[in-house]
Amino acid sequence: MRFMLTLIGPEGGYEDVTPDQMKAEMVNWEKFGAETMDAGVFLAGEGLQPAETAKTVRGGRDEERVVTDGPFAETKEQLGGFYLLECKDLDEALEWAKRVPIRDGAVEVRPVMDYEAMGYEDPRDAGATPAQGS
Amino acid sequence: MKYLLTFVVDERFAWEATPEEARETIERWSEFDREAVEAGVMIATEALEDSSSATTIAIEASGDRAVTDGPFAESKEQLGGFCLLECENLDEALEWAKKVPLRAGHIEVRPVRDLSELGYVSPTPAPAKAAAR
Repeated sequence: MRFMLTLIGPEGGYEDVTPDQMKAEMVNWEKFGAETMDAGVFLAGEGLQPAETAKTVRGGRDEERVVTDGPFAETKEQLGGFYLLECKDLDEALEWAKRVPIRDGAVEVRPVMDYEAMGYEDPRDAGATPAQGS
Repeated sequence: MKYLLTFVVDERFAWEATPEEARETIERWSEFDREAVEAGVMIATEALEDSSSATTIAIEASGDRAVTDGPFAESKEQLGGFCLLECENLDEALEWAKKVPLRAGHIEVRPVRDLSELGYVSPTPAPAKAAAR
């Protein structure tokens, strides 16, 4: 069963951080990534650039697809990154979520929909199975 | 360069689809996914269950981690799904965003942070058909 972990928090906070402190911070994230890989649960995960870099496209019919600068919502807290994990149940997903090395904010955990019953065939091949640690 | 497309949808908009409409919708999404895979840009994509299925872990300044039921924000618009793409630039990412078969709502496009200068390499696998590029 797949779960999406979204990392939400205030942006910034790293302005006064030295390069050495930043590298030390990255070690925590690398360690978390490596642990999820070794456990065979890691599918994908990324950190995002700040919300000010966002563009937003309106959905709907072709003529309605207007592009605007900025994120969808100008909120104090923004999506900062995510992990997509293959876990056996919600409890396992929550255990991983508790270990995400985020310093401030929240981790939202949500199950991914299963569309196979509706006839959806996933066109991905190798990308559809969890990456295994070495 | 990687871009994350997040689909923001109004969950109050309950869609009473006939089986035929549901099938057509699935076909449109399958077509989009196939196209993105064939172009060698698709890394990952998923649709999420409703936000009522969410569990949120709040990270306190003290390091405490409190688990609560429900999404982070009880807003009417919620994350409904996402798509992680490998594109040449923002323009290409926006072209794909315009093709996402979302009937209502918004698609937010954001570049992924490059942390390679800090020695961090993302463990996310390359697109399913990277060789096509």
